[in-house]
Amino acid sequence: MAATPHFLSSFKYGDALNVVGISVCTALVCEAISWVLIYRTASYKTLRSSIDKASKKLETMKATTATSAASSAIKKPSKSKKMDRVESSLKESSRDLSLFKFKSGAVVALVLVVVFALLNSLFEGKPVAKLPFTPFGLVMKMSHRGLQGNDATDCSMAFLYFLCSISIRTNLQKFLGFSPPRGVSGGLFPMPDPKMN
Amino acid sequence: MKEGKSAKQNQQQQQQHQKDHLSPFKLAKLLDPEASWDKDQLGDVLHWIRQVAALVCGLLWGTIPLVGGIWIVLFLALSTGIVYGYYAMILKIDEEEYGGHGALLQEGLFASLTLFLLAWILVYSLAHF
Repeated sequence: MAATPHFLSSFKYGDALNVVGISVCTALVCEAISWVLIYRTASYKTLRSSIDKASKKLETMKATTATSAASSAIKKPSKSKKMDRVESSLKESSRDLSLFKFKSGAVVALVLVVVFALLNSLFEGKPVAKLPFTPFGLVMKMSHRGLQGNDATDCSMAFLYFLCSISIRTNLQKFLGFSPPRGVSGGLFPMPDPKMN
Repeated sequence: MKEGKSAKQNQQQQQQHQKDHLSPFKLAKLLDPEASWDKDQLGDVLHWIRQVAALVCGLLWGTIPLVGGIWIVLFLALSTGIVYGYYAMILKIDEEEYGGHGALLQEGLFASLTLFLLAWILVYSLAHF
C-alpha cells in the first residue's frame, strides 16, 4: 500500500493518475447511488419503457409516412394527428423522466461537488499533467485554471477532471445500460446523463 | 430426487451450450453484411468502435510522442473514417434507415474525443517527463 504513493512520486506528473483514480471511484459511487435511487425503481423502468416504445413507434410512423407520401391525401391528416399524439406522449414521458431523475440527482450532484472541492484543495495551483498541444480560448481558460506562469501546455486538475468525468462516466453508463434513451438524448455533444453531472 | 437433479443439470448444460453457440454468432454478426440491425444495437457498436479507436490512438500518440493540435483533427478524421468504413463498406447498411450519416457518425463522438485526449495527455505526461 505504501509502495503506491512512492511509485507515483517517481513520475513528475504522477498526480494525474491520482486524479484519474479518484474520478473512476467517483464515477462508480455515483452510478451506485443512481442505481439505488433511480434505476432500480419501478417508476423509472415504466417511464423508460414507454419512452422506448414511443420512440420506436414514432420512427416507424415517420418511415411509413415518407414511403407512402404519394398515396391518398385523405389518410394524411389522421396519420399526422396520430404522429402528433405519439410525439407529445414521448415529450411528456421524457419530461416526467427528467423530473424524476432531477429529484434523485441532487444527491449525486452533492457527491460531485464535494469531490471537486477535495481535488481542488489538493491540487490547486499545481499542474498535474502536460498537454501535447497548445490550447486556446475556452479550453485554455479551463486547462490553465489557477496555474501560475505563461506555459499554456501546463494542465490543471480542473481540465483533467473534466476529461475524466465525461469519458469515464459516459462509457460506464453505456456499459451498465444506464444511458439516457435515444429518443431523449441527441445532438453532437451528448453528455453523460445530465441529471447525474 | 435423482431425476430432478439430472433434469436441472440438463437445463444448465443446454443454457451453457446456447451461450457458447451465441457468442460466435454475435461476433459473426459484427462482420455480416446480411445481418439485420436494430437502431440501438448499431448505435452501441459504433459507439464502442469509436472508444476503442480513441484509446488506441491516445496510447500510441502519447508513446511516440505526437505533439500538436493537428493530431486532434487527424484523430477525428481517422475515427470517423473507421466508423464510416465499417457501416458503409463492411455492414453495407442503408444509412437512411438509421437516421442518416449524421446520426451514425455522431455516435460516441464526444466521449471518444475526451477519452482520446485523456489517454494522449496521460501517456505523454507520464512517459516523457
